[in-house]
Amino acid sequence: MKLEIGNFFVKDIVFGDRTFYERGVLTVNKKEALDVVFEDSHITEAELYIVRPGDEVRLVPVKEAYEMRCKVSGGQSVYPGCTAPVAPVGSGRTHALKGCSLLVVGKHWGSFQDGLIDMSGPAQRNTIFGSMPNLVLVGDTDEEFERHEQQKKNRALRWAGMRLSEYVGKCVKDLEPEEIETWELEPVNERASDVRNLPSVVYVPQIQTQMEALGYNALVYGWDGNRMLPTYLHPNEILDGAIISGSFMPCSSKISTYEWVNNPMIKRLMREHGRTINFLGVVLSNLNVVMEEKVRSAMMVANIAKALGADGAIVAEEGYGNPDVDYILTIVELEKAGIKTVGMTNECTGRDGTSQPLVALDERANALVSTGNVSELYELPPMKTVLGELESLARDGLSGGWEGCVREDGSVIMENNAFFCSDHISGFSLKTCAEF
Amino acid sequence: MLKAVHYINQFFGQVGGEESADFEPVLQEGPVGPGLLLNEAMKEAKVTHTVICGDNFMASHPEEAVARILKMLEGLKFDVFLAGPAFNAGRYGVACGTICKAVKEKFGVPVITSMNEENPAVEMFKSNMYIFKGGRRATYMKQDVEKMAVFADKIARGDKLLPASMEGYFPRGIRHEVFLEDLGLEPKCAADRAFEMLLKKLKGEPYETELPIPKQERVPIAPAVKDLRKVKIALVTSGGIVPKDNPDRIQSCSATKWGAYDISKLDRLMAPDFKTIHAGYDPEQANKNPNVVLPLDAIRQYQKEGRIGEVDDHYYVTVGTGTTQAEAARMGREIAQRLKERNVGAVVLTAT
Repeated sequence: MKLEIGNFFVKDIVFGDRTFYERGVLTVNKKEALDVVFEDSHITEAELYIVRPGDEVRLVPVKEAYEMRCKVSGGQSVYPGCTAPVAPVGSGRTHALKGCSLLVVGKHWGSFQDGLIDMSGPAQRNTIFGSMPNLVLVGDTDEEFERHEQQKKNRALRWAGMRLSEYVGKCVKDLEPEEIETWELEPVNERASDVRNLPSVVYVPQIQTQMEALGYNALVYGWDGNRMLPTYLHPNEILDGAIISGSFMPCSSKISTYEWVNNPMIKRLMREHGRTINFLGVVLSNLNVVMEEKVRSAMMVANIAKALGADGAIVAEEGYGNPDVDYILTIVELEKAGIKTVGMTNECTGRDGTSQPLVALDERANALVSTGNVSELYELPPMKTVLGELESLARDGLSGGWEGCVREDGSVIMENNAFFCSDHISGFSLKTCAEF
Repeated sequence: MLKAVHYINQFFGQVGGEESADFEPVLQEGPVGPGLLLNEAMKEAKVTHTVICGDNFMASHPEEAVARILKMLEGLKFDVFLAGPAFNAGRYGVACGTICKAVKEKFGVPVITSMNEENPAVEMFKSNMYIFKGGRRATYMKQDVEKMAVFADKIARGDKLLPASMEGYFPRGIRHEVFLEDLGLEPKCAADRAFEMLLKKLKGEPYETELPIPKQERVPIAPAVKDLRKVKIALVTSGGIVPKDNPDRIQSCSATKWGAYDISKLDRLMAPDFKTIHAGYDPEQANKNPNVVLPLDAIRQYQKEGRIGEVDDHYYVTVGTGTTQAEAARMGREIAQRLKERNVGAVVLTAT
């Protein structure tokens, strides 16, 4: 399977008469773009903004982040099974507007999984989106059934984001990319002996699928991950849009759709393939609530990895708390199968740092990368502009906020939990946890 | 300039050696012994007063010693409290830890001491204070004092404090997130860190996990007692059931003490003569009926029915919340030793 991603490096985004890309500047026709958003009659209000690193802007409640891209060949859509009929991705050519994102923000109402992004100030560095220009869709919907629910599917806004990102992405469909990345991984049984002699490695992302009701979980080709068992994926499928982020987990522990298609763990493993390792591919796992389901998935991951001939594995858990059990079980099952395993996730050590960092511990999990502490407290100064509604952080049950955490002057005290995807379990995290 | 108070024992206080170990605590103006070195090394703080106390006095009258020292300090204005270095001297280490903990709790100032890793007081007190990693004996005095002084200066300047491994003190069990760049480290993303760790693990090379998991000692379950009528049974609990005045001052969490209390004349524990001091569960039911945690009523019933023989005339108790594994194991060994001396053949261990 061979995938070419044609990159266009966006330095700035502006609004203009038509939507086009030229010499580092992405110009968006606001009216046309909003028409795409309003294709869904459930969208009741929508407006577009542009934010840049250094702007005194706070975005909250942020629901999702997408990379603006389009399929050129080898498929019709970058969101198969979601905004387009289900179809394979991972081969052919995809064009992508790089170094920027589309952020989707609730105009008023937040939910458990939503987060906050600062474009300047001390917390600018807490999410990768603070250091890139972003097109921002701020909207509201008529989804009355969940308006005052803490858990929201956020379906209309998430789907609007997918449509919009593809609409903007299409402006580079016929242009010559500034760079072409080629991602290719030959079938596991057709590899040269010098590759086969390298240690064989699988990547095991555990996507967040613990909401028993459907519509909230991460999607695989549009399929709710709560209803799947561990399976094998070619890494290109993920780089080309097979996984869509869900709408459930406390925000800092989430992996946004932007991060799935830019997943730095997959990219590193692909680059090392044939040099230091033989990258066998992705064993995609879910995360479960019921103990028997946790055991079944851990067992199946280990069996697939073993059947593929893996010597090593990297497990990444999208979440914290209860799913730590799935994380540790899977690591232990892999180790028991003789597969040397590294784990990557965040910790929950409490505001004072003294709580047990993971719900489950096992000394066989002896190689762990830590990407943050969900309960770390942050005080943020006021920002001149808020896109969305600041009070949502205190009012709507965002995971790192609470009643009273937003002060009258616009300053905020909150847990890391509420920063948008800030523990970057995809592998972008520049944080760790240390003992004091 | 911050004001520091320094605690030392009779030997470093130049009172005398082992023969003076019962020396009662005194407060002196200015630095003494190691305090002079501290004052040379510290740029932002000065030792204004020194407390000298005999190691034996502290060991045999800890409550009195602590109370007297805290009283002496009441009138003083000070910003930081230093003790030792205590090297590998066990009694001195426990004394430094005991007084540092008490001073921190009463005055809320930072407390700093130094000990060798083999000093048993490290395990007892490391979660409560900064204990710097020191040498085995007093020949390391200068180096150990230097480390304490550098850290006291950092506190005085309000510098951002780095993780334990970088500052050089024993980790206190407090984990926080940090940006690698703030530690002066290369801001390597998690994906690269994970890949490099995996490669080392695959090659069998040493690597450092970012989240060390404490080694769990699994204790095999003992074989069943063949005849309960022929062994002496003891009741042990980590549920914090103590006589109402908690005579041994067992701590409500992070306990370092255990107690043994006479039950030879009792058929059941009565409230309010017994109560729980455990801070990790709702005490209401246990305070109403302490037997729900320490089942003396049930064991006496069995005794009456002839199903069991003898019951030890004491029960044994500590508090199992926030207690480190190492501390729990030490107390477990001590209690087990006592049980063996008393010919106990089986234990009912109740947790909460």
